[in-house]
Amino acid sequence: MALSLDNVSIHRFNQPLLTVNFSVAAGEIVCVMGASGAGKSTLLDAISGQLSQPFSVQGDITLNGERINDIPAHRRNIGIMYQDALLYEHLTVGDNIAFALPRSEHHALKASERRARIVGQLDTVGLADFYDRAVQTLSGGQQARVALLRTLAAKPAAVLLDEPFGKLDNTRKEQLRPWVIQQLADRGLPALMVTHDSGDAQAVGGRIIEV
Amino acid sequence: MLQFHRVSHLVRWLFIGVLCLPVLAGAIGVLLPALGYFPALGESTFSLAVFQRLWTVDHIAHMAWMSFFTGFIATAVATLSALCLLSAFYHQAWLHTIQRLLSPLLVLPHAAAAIALLFILSPSGWLARVASLFSQTVLPPQWSIPFDNSGITIIFALALKELPFIFLMALSVLSQPQMHTRITAYLKNAQAMGYAPVTAFLKCALPQLYPHLRLPVLAVLAYATANVEIPLILGSNNPPTLAVAVLQWFNHIELSMRFQASAAAVVQLMVTVVALITWRLVEYSAGRLLRHSMINTQRAQGARRVTLAAWLILVLFTFFAVTMVVSTLVWSFATFWPFPAVLPDGITLLHWQTALPALAEPVKNTLMLGAMVSVLAVIVALLALEAEVSVLPKLGWQRQRLEHSLLQLTLYLPLMVPGVAFLFGLVWFQQRFFSGGIFPHVMLSHLVYVMPYVYISLALPYRRLDPRYVKLAYSLGKSPGQVFWRVKMPLLFGPVLVALGLGMAISFSQYLPTLLSGGGRFATVTTEAVAVASGSSQRLSAVYVIVQAFMPIIVFALAWWLPGRLFNPAAHPRGQQSGVF
Repeated sequence: MALSLDNVSIHRFNQPLLTVNFSVAAGEIVCVMGASGAGKSTLLDAISGQLSQPFSVQGDITLNGERINDIPAHRRNIGIMYQDALLYEHLTVGDNIAFALPRSEHHALKASERRARIVGQLDTVGLADFYDRAVQTLSGGQQARVALLRTLAAKPAAVLLDEPFGKLDNTRKEQLRPWVIQQLADRGLPALMVTHDSGDAQAVGGRIIEV
Repeated sequence: MLQFHRVSHLVRWLFIGVLCLPVLAGAIGVLLPALGYFPALGESTFSLAVFQRLWTVDHIAHMAWMSFFTGFIATAVATLSALCLLSAFYHQAWLHTIQRLLSPLLVLPHAAAAIALLFILSPSGWLARVASLFSQTVLPPQWSIPFDNSGITIIFALALKELPFIFLMALSVLSQPQMHTRITAYLKNAQAMGYAPVTAFLKCALPQLYPHLRLPVLAVLAYATANVEIPLILGSNNPPTLAVAVLQWFNHIELSMRFQASAAAVVQLMVTVVALITWRLVEYSAGRLLRHSMINTQRAQGARRVTLAAWLILVLFTFFAVTMVVSTLVWSFATFWPFPAVLPDGITLLHWQTALPALAEPVKNTLMLGAMVSVLAVIVALLALEAEVSVLPKLGWQRQRLEHSLLQLTLYLPLMVPGVAFLFGLVWFQQRFFSGGIFPHVMLSHLVYVMPYVYISLALPYRRLDPRYVKLAYSLGKSPGQVFWRVKMPLLFGPVLVALGLGMAISFSQYLPTLLSGGGRFATVTTEAVAVASGSSQRLSAVYVIVQAFMPIIVFALAWWLPGRLFNPAAHPRGQQSGVF
């Protein structure tokens, strides 16, 4: 599994903003760093298929050998994680994860089995009893963990992280960061992390792309 | 383009069509008879003879002047008062108390407010009764309000009714996140430079706020210059305002009066346009004059005067709001109540027993119509907004700008073109080409008024929705339709219910569209209330007003209460089984 960007350039009102040329192998995390306004988040939007006017993209974005430029966002199978957990407040903690399950898995399992599986996932982050809790009652660190579980529950083929630890204090960041890196590595997912924090890049220890 | 996006884009065009076409068709339907063309009455040649005859009608110039004068002054008073309240109390913690005090009057129909005011101001009203306590007279006073020729009562009633609208619109502009952050920073900054809070607001916040308030204020002005209910209930009938005269001529037994009425409707439209232009000129000159005082470095300029005026407005407003409520309640239960007595001889449920059975049918009609119109308007507005955030950004820059401004323009079309100027034409169109069935016609004419407000109230929360929630759902593999129904709708549940409530309240309050499109055969609470107010007993009118006031209040109470109950896991006890998926 791999995500490749071949001569991918982002344009704003037809003015070139940035051009990149690299690929991310399975299980690898590549960091993208650069000044504010350089177009880092826009690059993630282009990869996930969420680009809107005045931005446009050229070049080839390929995921596992398939060119995905023209595939709508919801069929690209690329997960995203932001610095805010963005858990849906109209759903409980467990239902947020249930929301992400692929259709096939939803149909293959009975309601009780789905619940058991989600409780099992919550258990791995020490939140086994939290299925029916309102998301507002969770701490920032807990929300971030649930957010990653939700992203992974959709069985993505690649993951994009947009400053995922930007809002956490140092203690929480030190706890969460290794866990997130481990989760992505365990699943052998190609991942792209946009960050300001050189500490993130060091912790990941992989390649750094400057834009 | 994806299926769901195609549908929403189509609905956006439908939205524009439903707003434009009735107004345009109606305008044509009025313009043709005004130019002498009305084959049904045997006239099929174009000429200006109808207008020439209109000039010879007694008091025609005065009627037009009264429409202009009352609407313009009332809007000026309401706008200045609202801005005055805002400047004086924006930095106060109890600003929200004022907001709560003003909100109920916003949803009270114009007709109901006018009738309630009649109970206080009329020669046998409470003011006169209280005054007679001091003057020891037993006869009602000879003062000439209401029904005065000067238009003072109309201005007072319109201003009282429009003040809450402008005030709440201004608050909603100021609460938009970007605006809020900026204004708060400006005010802190100005106070750090030694400006008094009120002066800081006048000099730094007001110039930022007013441009955002201009369209709602112009809509109020257009409405006020052509309003029918208030001059009909509180105004002089010798002569009436032009809008009322148009209504009377259109409903005249003599069918040939339709020509005169149509020409007068065109004049009414011109009166409104002149009022709008005058407003812009006055506004521009005022802006030029005030520019110098912005930088005259007076740190407490106007602070005391504006605060004093604001208190006066607040006291006056509270006094009338409270006495309107109390006097309406008292009248609805009153037995014999001779003149100088401040309270009636006794209380009775008789009026309620008489009115309620008679109101059953109108209440049913009002609720059914309001619910259907509002639900339809909300669905169309939501899909149109969905097209705006999902489809328009994918179109070219030019096309995007064009479609955006086209909708903004049509949004304000029904609010700027006076009802009396196009509704008659619309009715003629409907009867000519789609005869049979009253309900769809009434529904269409209500939709024209309900949809803009529903759209405006939903637009802000819809655009403010964090786009990352949506991107995230797409990245989880959800289709645009699923994202709309299962992510956006629950997140917007509160605003959607408020929009539904608003739509119903606006539908409830419509007088002219119901009366005309229904051909007088579709009775709602509002049409009945106006009919009763101009006829029989004050006590029955009071009951009607209370019913009119209660319906929107109940709807809004539900809209505020329900979101906390549904789609909110935090409101439910822990450990309950999940039933969502």
